[in-house]
Amino acid sequence: MLLPKFEFHEPASIQEAIELKKKYRTDARLLAGGTDLLVHLKKKLITTDHVISLLRIKDLGQIKNNKESVEIGACVTMARLSESKVIQENFCAIKAGADNLGTHLIRNRATLGGNVCNASPAADTICSLIVYQAHALLESTDGKRELPIESFFMSPGKTDIRDNEILTGFKLSIPGKNCGAHYIQLGKRKSSEINIVNVASFIQFDPSDQTIMNSRIALGSVAATPIRSFHAEKILQNKKASESLFYEAGEAARHKDCKPIDDFRGTADYRKAMIGVLTKRTLDAAFKQVQAQ
Amino acid sequence: MEKFDIISSRAPRIDTPDKATGKAVFIDDISKPGMLYGALLQSPHAHAKILSIDTSKAEKLEGVKAVITSKDAGSVKYGVSPARYDETVFAIDKVLYVGDEIAAVAAVSLETAQQAVQLIKVEYEILPAVFTVEDALKKEAPQLHENFPNNLCAQVHQEFGNVEEGLKQSDIIKTTTLKNKRQDGACIEMQGCIAEYDVREVLTLITSTQVPHYVQRTVAMVLGLDIGKVRVKKPYLGAGFGIKASANPMELACCILAVKTKKPVKMNYNREQVFMYSRARHQFTHTITTGAKKDGTIIALKHECYLDGGAYTSFGIATVYYTGSLLGGPYKLANMSYDGYRVYNNKPACGAQRGHGAVIARACFEQQLDMIAEEIGMDPMALRIKNMMNTGDTTCNDLNMSSFGMSECIEAVRKGSDWDKKKGNMPKGKGIGMACGFFVSGAGYPIYRSDTFHGTVIVKLTEDGGTALVYTASAEIGQGSDTAFAMIAAETLGIPLENIRLASGDTDMGVDLGAYSSRQTLMTGHATKEAAEHAKQQVLEVLAHKLDIPMEDMDIKKGFIEFKNHIPDFSVLRTRYIKEHRGWTDNPDSEKLTFKEASRIAFLEKGSIVGTGKYKPQLLGGKFKGAAVGTSPAYGCSAQVAQVTVDMETGQVTIDHITDAHDCGKAINMTSVEGQMEGSVSMGIGEAMHEEVIFDDKGRVVNNDLAEYKIVTSMDMPIVNAIVVESNEPNGPYGAKEVGEGAIMPTIPAILNAVYDAAGVRMNELPLTPERVYNAIQVYRKKLSA
Repeated sequence: MLLPKFEFHEPASIQEAIELKKKYRTDARLLAGGTDLLVHLKKKLITTDHVISLLRIKDLGQIKNNKESVEIGACVTMARLSESKVIQENFCAIKAGADNLGTHLIRNRATLGGNVCNASPAADTICSLIVYQAHALLESTDGKRELPIESFFMSPGKTDIRDNEILTGFKLSIPGKNCGAHYIQLGKRKSSEINIVNVASFIQFDPSDQTIMNSRIALGSVAATPIRSFHAEKILQNKKASESLFYEAGEAARHKDCKPIDDFRGTADYRKAMIGVLTKRTLDAAFKQVQAQ
Repeated sequence: MEKFDIISSRAPRIDTPDKATGKAVFIDDISKPGMLYGALLQSPHAHAKILSIDTSKAEKLEGVKAVITSKDAGSVKYGVSPARYDETVFAIDKVLYVGDEIAAVAAVSLETAQQAVQLIKVEYEILPAVFTVEDALKKEAPQLHENFPNNLCAQVHQEFGNVEEGLKQSDIIKTTTLKNKRQDGACIEMQGCIAEYDVREVLTLITSTQVPHYVQRTVAMVLGLDIGKVRVKKPYLGAGFGIKASANPMELACCILAVKTKKPVKMNYNREQVFMYSRARHQFTHTITTGAKKDGTIIALKHECYLDGGAYTSFGIATVYYTGSLLGGPYKLANMSYDGYRVYNNKPACGAQRGHGAVIARACFEQQLDMIAEEIGMDPMALRIKNMMNTGDTTCNDLNMSSFGMSECIEAVRKGSDWDKKKGNMPKGKGIGMACGFFVSGAGYPIYRSDTFHGTVIVKLTEDGGTALVYTASAEIGQGSDTAFAMIAAETLGIPLENIRLASGDTDMGVDLGAYSSRQTLMTGHATKEAAEHAKQQVLEVLAHKLDIPMEDMDIKKGFIEFKNHIPDFSVLRTRYIKEHRGWTDNPDSEKLTFKEASRIAFLEKGSIVGTGKYKPQLLGGKFKGAAVGTSPAYGCSAQVAQVTVDMETGQVTIDHITDAHDCGKAINMTSVEGQMEGSVSMGIGEAMHEEVIFDDKGRVVNNDLAEYKIVTSMDMPIVNAIVVESNEPNGPYGAKEVGEGAIMPTIPAILNAVYDAAGVRMNELPLTPERVYNAIQVYRKKLSA
């Protein structure tokens, strides 16, 4: 398959990039890792006159640890996320997703910003970003803007990003003590998969009596965008962690919070059932992390 | 047993340095001066009448050198078996599947060629299409081929012994069904070719094929050229698996474009086109009934199968026969019947893939053996050994097991997997299962009816005496055949492997039916051995004359002449040799006369020393209709044990370990044999677990890339303990027979039996996606609680 012809731009700074984006707006596509964009271009699923590569912009490839929060540049690759100490220590649900996305080769190229902007409901990092309450950092010639990641997604492939904007990175508060999180994805084989369903869970405990103070659960591949499982979260609120509680939360996620479709990867019924299992398992893993602290 | 110097070793493959350093030349690496690029116009409709084709705009596009349609390609029908030639290069008045070829363009660049294809205007009248066996067999179904009413491409009805009587005598009768899904061969290298038509009107086609010989015949027939004016060569291949075992329409279109433009033309399939062309494993729906006595003796087997064939026959007529015939063994079975139906529909044609026709039948039957064993409380291995044929036995459908290490394979996997300890003692969610299988070492007959030799080989000694050149038209497709033949030539001549240079895959080098039906080692191996013996004999003849020693008293070993009695005075020969090499510094000073000296002396006496070899099997098989399919000079045997973990909540199955034993006769190259065993296991796991070509309701492939069509990744591959069980095959060169396909036979049923052991569910549909296993577990649990 041949890549269609387009004009290729390689800005060296964010300033240059946002000026290009202002100039070409929807006529330009941004290139980070290219693991989705180039495939879509080759398959003629999308066409574009301009491709703006972000790979020369050094700032976008950094992970900055600001003690209370972390900023992850949009062009940080999955492989970098997997290796990063601050991610490993504080955001293991993101690491779990980064570890499992695609294949080794893809992980060396695929970026967090790309995974988010591709906005697939099955994306391997989005559920985790949601449960950590990440903020998307956006920039244009009009200035900067921060958006909670949860309200960033509109529909498959569509985000709330403006035509003249570039996603520069993500800001995440470092969770305090007594917090745990995990992410599990389910596919047909062990690598190079597109998820049938995927779930991330985050829980915060009261250290005095092990009750759940706070929880966030995000479900992937069961709606047009990754979604929160509010019914499941409600069940957990102020309860003591137990296997049966996690099962109950899973069943609530399965029956009340997800609205999957049938497609060639799986039926809605199976997806729902697996939402139950994965919700239970991610909660259980998150709980075990806290116990191990 | 005979002692060998080279055979049975772990000699590094002769293509390894090229492949490891990236120097191996594949079709994509080749370009020619002035080369044009071709592109195909393929039907977007599954079934339609072509009302008109307007190529005028495409022809006018700058850079376009030729546009061809059926007007140029003609109406010669071709295919795989002459009994079912049902394809033309381009559709003439009807298209039968999404992807059916309509026209082709040659242009100065690929972009231009593809652009020109877009400019060809075709008017269609859409016809109703059918996509399943069930729909295609309905009375009112649209008909694909006039000569084959009811969309029945082929049907087979066979009975050996008396099945009804056998079932009456049986104490236990099991009937089950098994349905697999259409496969894609998923060769990493997609098909591609370059055709060139020179000023002397010789057409040379370089192509990624398993069968240069059949491609040569098809090209000559379709283009109306003499065989002698068509040369087909293959470069290195990124696998074939059966999908590249016949001429494809792109190769033919490329040849026509080259003849028309008088320029080299290159064409490639992209991955979507590979899926559209297809020609891989059929979807089979088997219903099998097995009857056995209380003591475990198998009495009768009743077998019915429907094959989802697609739009054309391809290998299908052979497939539908293989499907039945290869259940004749490896167990003693007096009564067997088979009713097979291959059905046309508006999807791409299926063809042959590793384990041709027999893999799913085996998967269905081997599960029934486990069910019978369970019911009578017998160990599944014991039941199989109890029914096992013996060396020299012939099946009820006339397949002769001239060597047969099947029971030895079972014992090897029993020990290798620690079966006796594990069977029945696996923890919850874990299971162990086994199965057996066998396969031909080359089809007994060519695809076209002929008395032709199946392989010819030339061994030529270089004039300096140092090197033997082996020329064979056989096809190295990654399986290691070049190395095997170099080893056989070296062993036979009695010289080191590094003194062999081998060239293969070129129809100018002789006749070789190619790499399919696991035939290369046995058949081309024989021809190589004969050619090397012929060359060796010519050297020894001269030596016998010069030294006045009978030929029988001499031999060549490790590059030296061995004398049976005493070493004669050969100083005259050595002096002569050294004189011949004035200025050389490596004059021989060994106590023994070297092969190099002897061979040089022989050259001085006789001129070129050329040994020729040939092979065709002895008369094989019975007289009944279809008896030819399944016959082979020898059969490879295989047993496997699979250990699995089933996640009872999600239905995910993990293959933890495979123990695999294979009787390949004498292993020519031990490492290559193990490689074929592991490759078979990997493909078997893919078929069992993930692979499925999915179509939409318009007949288009939905998952036409390797992201969505899921072959096994390294992360899914378990540790494979490959145990080579050697026997001595009387019909094989140095006792060798197949390993490339037999080794896939037990993989799927071993996994299915292990999943049953782990989760209590018998699966009757593949692949074992998590969802399918999950659903089966839910049904099983409901049954348990009811």
